[in-house]
Amino acid sequence: MDETHMLRRHFTLLAGTLIAGRVQLHGANALIAQDVAQRIQTALGGEWPPTGPDGFKAGDPDTPVKGIATTAMATLAVLKQASKAGTNLVLTYEPTFFGRHDGPAPPPAPASPGTNGRGAARGFFGLAADDPVYTAKKEFIEKNGLVVFRLRDHWQARKENDMTTGLAQSLGWTKYRVKPDDVLYDIPVATAEDTVALIRKKLNLRGGVRAVGDRKARVRRIMLHPGLMTPAIMWQRYEETDLIVAGEVREWENTHYAADIYTIGEKRGLVTIGRVASEDPGMRACAAWLGTVVNEVPVHWIMTGDLYWRAV
Amino acid sequence: MTGREVVDLIKKNVGVPWNEQSYRDTFKLGNPDSTVKGIAATVMVTFDMLKRANQAGLNMVISHEDTFWNDRDDTKDLTANPLYRMKTQYVLNNDMIIWRIHDHMHAMHPDFTVVGSLRSVGVKGGEDAVMRARVYTIPETTLGEFASQVKRLTGSRAFRCVGDPNVKVSKILLGPGYATPRMTAEADVVIGGEQQEADGGFDDVEYVADATSLGMAKGLIMLGHVISEQPGMEDLAKWMRTFIKGIPIEFVPAEEPFWT
Repeated sequence: MDETHMLRRHFTLLAGTLIAGRVQLHGANALIAQDVAQRIQTALGGEWPPTGPDGFKAGDPDTPVKGIATTAMATLAVLKQASKAGTNLVLTYEPTFFGRHDGPAPPPAPASPGTNGRGAARGFFGLAADDPVYTAKKEFIEKNGLVVFRLRDHWQARKENDMTTGLAQSLGWTKYRVKPDDVLYDIPVATAEDTVALIRKKLNLRGGVRAVGDRKARVRRIMLHPGLMTPAIMWQRYEETDLIVAGEVREWENTHYAADIYTIGEKRGLVTIGRVASEDPGMRACAAWLGTVVNEVPVHWIMTGDLYWRAV
Repeated sequence: MTGREVVDLIKKNVGVPWNEQSYRDTFKLGNPDSTVKGIAATVMVTFDMLKRANQAGLNMVISHEDTFWNDRDDTKDLTANPLYRMKTQYVLNNDMIIWRIHDHMHAMHPDFTVVGSLRSVGVKGGEDAVMRARVYTIPETTLGEFASQVKRLTGSRAFRCVGDPNVKVSKILLGPGYATPRMTAEADVVIGGEQQEADGGFDDVEYVADATSLGMAKGLIMLGHVISEQPGMEDLAKWMRTFIKGIPIEFVPAEEPFWT
């Protein structure tokens, strides 16, 4: 038995005997993950139903917090980075375990009439409890004493809308905002092509950027829409904008619309930059905000980044 | 022959019971009782595609996807929309008819969208493919080389990949359109059209990214909706020619909408 192993074993035994005495071990003011969650819940307000997407997804909520990381999506790469930095509470905007269910899921019900070929009930089985990627990720979290908490609905619902202002900040467009509380920005005039190139550079994007419309169109008014944009939002607002910058859309809906706009000769474009890439900046803003709520431990942001590449 | 008669012939030949509850597979625009001069089969009835069909004298468009930019082709919020008005007027002024075939194509044996998509990326043996995805074996290659082959064969400019380009792959699982399958233990590469990137039924992007971090040989190729389902519409046109006689039936492609 080497020394590290002995130390670890000793520590485990010690921790085991003192489980009931956590308060003595860490002092009366030790901040545990549950405390951070409560502070976030109090600060953001609203209802936090156990059935909602927000809440603890992995790890022990009683874990004393050494540091907090915010991120758009708690990929294994992000978790490794958090662990290496000595950060053990990770707040993620998107799921950790590969879907809205955020963990093992039963197979979906058979498709109901009229949903043939599309929708949730497609007949693909859910995530199995013994799925190798799921179990390895969960093990990594537990072995390294990490705690993962999803913070989406309540962060997004905040009236300051930092998902959008955070994106604007990363693009260097904060001062170009047209009206407070809105999502329009008047940037210095450039072509659509040059604007997309600037977005790619500022956000460090790789293969996830796809644009529709006239490359040479003159762009001044931008609408920022991190995350998923529905057709209804696009129909309501496209006439006010030269270029919509969204996270993702459905291609047979919004992309189709943008293609038709181009066909009738309108100089209005759509660029999708990737859902996660569009949410990265907002979670950086979340780290800054969290620093005002929790000051006992360091809070920092870990970029998930553009996960796509393009074939050569 | 009228549009309605064309559809009746399709219903008679589709090989599966017709589902009258499908909100997708219905007439979308134009007079179903107008005379059909020619049929254009397409994946997406874009305005650009409509114009090309009309110029070619094909006044009935049979599209796999929607006309009015939402899956239900719900137009109640669009009545004042200028693009909606232009597109509608264009169809009516030119006595065109739009009918959609989506759900029944995916219920057919084979499902032409899957057959066409497999063929278009160079995967052999999928001539009898149906919607429920099955694993196909290709000669072992790297994910990067396979992606290059997909690019060469499809001509797509904008498709997206996830995973380590250097891993060896040979097992392919494909579902076109929005039917991107979830990664399984058997598959090395999942190929799809599109899929919600996160917070969906199953998030392939995160799964493949994490599998890659664990050193597993997994890849994801998102072709895009048009690129993935387009090839099968050529098969649909061929199939329709076997029982609709006396009028031209052409495959009219929709354009890949993206630049990067």
